[in-house]
Amino acid sequence: MTKPDDRARRPFRFFECTGLIRPTGKHAQDLSELLSLIRIVDPGVIYHHTHQYFLKAAVEAPEYYNDFAVWAARSLEERALAEKLANLDLYAFSGIEKVRAALTEIVVSYLGENPAPRPARPGDAFYFNDAVTIVAESGFAAESLPAFLEALDRVGTSSVYFHFFEARFRLRRPADDFSIWIEGDLGRPDLARKIRGLDPYQYSLEGLRGRIRSLLRPDAAGGV
Amino acid sequence: MKGLSDYNGIAEPEDLRLLTRLGERLRGRSFLHVNSTSVGGGVAEILHRLIALFVDLGVAARWEVIKGDQSFFEVTKQIHNGLQGQAVEMSPRMWEIHREVNEANAGQMDLDADLVFIHDPQPAHLIGHRRRGVWVWRCHVDVSHPHPPVWERLAADVGRHAAAIFSGAQFAQQLAVPQFVVPPSIDPLSEKNRDLTDPEVQAELEAHQIPRDKPILLQVSRFDRFKDPVGVVQAYRMVKRYYDCRLILAGGTATDDPEGEGILARVREEAQNDPDIRILLLPPFSDRLINALQRAAAVVLQKSTREGFGLTVAEALWKAKPVVGGAVGGIPSQIHHGVTGFLVHSVEGAAYRIRQLLHNPALGKKMGEMGREHIRRNFLITRQAKDYLALWVALERRNERVISI
Repeated sequence: MTKPDDRARRPFRFFECTGLIRPTGKHAQDLSELLSLIRIVDPGVIYHHTHQYFLKAAVEAPEYYNDFAVWAARSLEERALAEKLANLDLYAFSGIEKVRAALTEIVVSYLGENPAPRPARPGDAFYFNDAVTIVAESGFAAESLPAFLEALDRVGTSSVYFHFFEARFRLRRPADDFSIWIEGDLGRPDLARKIRGLDPYQYSLEGLRGRIRSLLRPDAAGGV
Repeated sequence: MKGLSDYNGIAEPEDLRLLTRLGERLRGRSFLHVNSTSVGGGVAEILHRLIALFVDLGVAARWEVIKGDQSFFEVTKQIHNGLQGQAVEMSPRMWEIHREVNEANAGQMDLDADLVFIHDPQPAHLIGHRRRGVWVWRCHVDVSHPHPPVWERLAADVGRHAAAIFSGAQFAQQLAVPQFVVPPSIDPLSEKNRDLTDPEVQAELEAHQIPRDKPILLQVSRFDRFKDPVGVVQAYRMVKRYYDCRLILAGGTATDDPEGEGILARVREEAQNDPDIRILLLPPFSDRLINALQRAAAVVLQKSTREGFGLTVAEALWKAKPVVGGAVGGIPSQIHHGVTGFLVHSVEGAAYRIRQLLHNPALGKKMGEMGREHIRRNFLITRQAKDYLALWVALERRNERVISI
């Protein structure tokens, strides 16, 4: 067990990021077209529509943090399909191709068991986008758990997004950056396990930040 | 002119930090914008402010305006209408005029820069005169359903650029070049959007003989068929049966829009000298008056039937006003239906939502507050400046999807 002011082997450097949307020019007007395109679009497109919803700074919490589920609910009015797509445990997949396979399976199965849904109304198609992420150092770093929490409060929410989702899926790290550092550099596998036990798709980024804070704060008492 | 530090306390701090990092990365590089008007319309308005911000960041940004005569702007208006879906007839001679004016301008402009943004169709043919640098076509109009002959002809020029930028993903086309989405933005510190005191608002209204004895419905837009000012007057008439209110149609005039006069005449005819309908023809630099009108309004309208983005929606939301807007183009990205305002699909829908807001001012107040925060997070100039510089980096490292700077 470490003390609150124990130093990490290496500092944690917080990065912030911004996403640039790259439309592919492809769109689906109905569920069959959606399925065809899910099968062939670049992996980055699948990633964008299942994860970069978090970067939209919405003032209201979305019903689902997944563009496919939102479209199924709002534009096709296929609520059961939306629920299946939203309930996909994305964080359990080790890579984006496995996410693609799971999405495909859900839609194929739904089409097999239900009458074909009506097309979306004109102007309400699903537009497939890719995205580029630009990442920069935030200027905040931490060498202890209290300092980590203080910096976590000060960085933008894009930093939480980057270290949780981009790191895992786009940079192919085995887990989120926070828990990797806490386990490897701070020597606290118990805390790392708590963070890895989070269900990140149930939070806004601000909510995720708050939850991480509340998980770590009891162990950080004692000052920076 | 305002610098980046003036946005502390307004914009998202992380946006300012990222913008600073991008500025450091691109310091000393040259960034040219070319469009067709220096006054009137949202494009010119935000460009003034963006250029100043880029210069403050150390980027050598500047702006050139393509010059043309009446016939050129009639042609480009037709192209514009065609891009927005109208089945316009474009003769070979009209395309020839477009080409000739572009070529004449190319000989007089300094087109040398590391990055060149060509705004909208008017200067699109300048691409034939590129000598160096990365050229990007920046589209501000609603091209979700373009008239095919117009788009196909223009796409030949667009496809010669390194990339194309649209205001929304729904405008993306099948192009061989990379496409990006960058929504426009407003400047919270500009004369049009800065905070005004109530005495300042009152002084502006009195100077234009606008009483505040009744709720004000307001649409600020050029007199353009796609802004549907006639539909606004019709909606006002439906509302007026139940709520005594005034309608103000405040329209700037853009130098590149020769159709405005005809639309204005049609609006006047529809208004039938109703003393509670006020048509204000705003000269350029009426920013403070527009600001005051938006702050004095009970409900702001943007009943467009086609819209690239609809900056007036962002302006009104920034002033915490509820907005009733057409569900087209970039308006749904600003109005979350029932949260920051109402989206409508018809004159009747506009009338119904205006009645709802006049009946329940507390609802409008709540929507306005949500709207202001939505604009602050997503549609301020600092976000757009960040996107443009991020895009520059992305074009220089085009095979990477996660780019560390």
